[in-house]
Amino acid sequence: MNIKEYIASGILESYLAGELDKEEMRTVDSIASLYPEVQDQLNELRVSLNRYAAATGNLPDEETLKVVLQKIKEDEKEHFLNAIDGSETNFRRVNIVPRWTVAASILLSVSIAFNVFFYAQMMEQSKKVRLIAQENALMAQNIEKVDQQLDYAELRIAHFLNKDNVHVRMEGSDLSPKSYANVFWNVKSNAVFISVDNLPEPPAGHQYQLWAIKPGQAPIDAGIFDHSLLVQELKVIKGDVIAFAVTLEKEGGTPIATVDQTYVKGFLKKS
Amino acid sequence: MGLKGNRLQKLNNSSYRWLFHNNYKTLSTQLHYIHKDSSIEDRIIYLLADQDKGAIRLIYENYAVVLFNVILRIVKHEDIAKDVLQEALIKIWKKSAKFERSKGGLYTWMVTICRNSAIDKTRSRDFMDRQKSEKALDIVFVSDGLGREAKGEDDYFQELLQELPAHHRQLINLSFFEGYSHPEISAQLNIPLGTVKTRIRTAIQHLRSVI
Repeated sequence: MNIKEYIASGILESYLAGELDKEEMRTVDSIASLYPEVQDQLNELRVSLNRYAAATGNLPDEETLKVVLQKIKEDEKEHFLNAIDGSETNFRRVNIVPRWTVAASILLSVSIAFNVFFYAQMMEQSKKVRLIAQENALMAQNIEKVDQQLDYAELRIAHFLNKDNVHVRMEGSDLSPKSYANVFWNVKSNAVFISVDNLPEPPAGHQYQLWAIKPGQAPIDAGIFDHSLLVQELKVIKGDVIAFAVTLEKEGGTPIATVDQTYVKGFLKKS
Repeated sequence: MGLKGNRLQKLNNSSYRWLFHNNYKTLSTQLHYIHKDSSIEDRIIYLLADQDKGAIRLIYENYAVVLFNVILRIVKHEDIAKDVLQEALIKIWKKSAKFERSKGGLYTWMVTICRNSAIDKTRSRDFMDRQKSEKALDIVFVSDGLGREAKGEDDYFQELLQELPAHHRQLINLSFFEGYSHPEISAQLNIPLGTVKTRIRTAIQHLRSVI
């Protein structure tokens, strides 16, 4: 294409004057984009016309531009407000929508109220149940204790009533004058039973130990016993025992009696 | 309005435009003194994409003269053309997102919008009523381009314009400022249609040589 000829044809002036239709204008545009010379010509033409307009007082007034900018501003504002309005109605719709949600929420509230009520009741009941259970446990403990005591009592009576048993009542020594305990010694089996009747609670790490005393001999170990059990069977002792005594010893007992720690002591009745 | 990264990427030659975006205010004030302003179109496209109202100001300063003429060709009345130009500029703003450079230049796109606005106007009831009343009065719209009072600030430039022959000025006025089509000019000045185009070109060449 001969660009100079193209420019000289006056088509660019026609383009700016609005003489060309849309398609013709687009053709000029594509040629201008390919040939910077054409684009320059178009720009220069337009600038010349603007200058001419300025010099002849034909420039468009500033007022028109102000009106346009103001309208654009108002339009944007309206657009913005519409957007806000739109979002509001959307929110409202969401709030209104399904009727069943109202019913559901009422049911839910009622249900919650009942739940709270029943829960409070249940808590009270379970508290009562707990108390009763505690009472029961206490009672059971008491019964067990009583049962045990009864067992011991029966056991003691049995020992007392047993014809084969030798009964020795041991009285409190100077160390513990109020204490006492009983020993049953079965002459046939030689088994020794102790009935812990009234001995003070042994200090920690200590235990009571029963001794059989024979004339001219050191005390013979008849066994350590548990302070908390009323009647218990201890060791088998044979021979001519004349007395029984209980000493306080270190836990686990000792082969040699600590005589000065004698709590109770009793002699066999001479038959 | 801040620079949007994604918008910037949409445009070709973005760094070039960014440079102008920063300087466009100073540049636009010097607009009438710039010969080679190939960047005006780029700057306007950039600002439109950025939803910057500065785009409308740039369009107005650089294209209002030619767009007004395009509208006047259709509506024939300056006051109506002024209204249509206002409407068209608002449409340009609203439709800016739809502008596609691949389909043609900015000017072509704006001319299309202006023409559509002008045609819409000629179909409006107001416009038709006005046409009727004017026909009744039998007023013929005759160009008095030469008689226009020049209120331009640039006295020096006005002096230079005196060197431009009257018939050249008349052609420029009719074609570029008063909305006359080539056939209309041909009829008005009694010149063959084929000659109108070349004479206008000569007039413009003369104008450019003067300034």
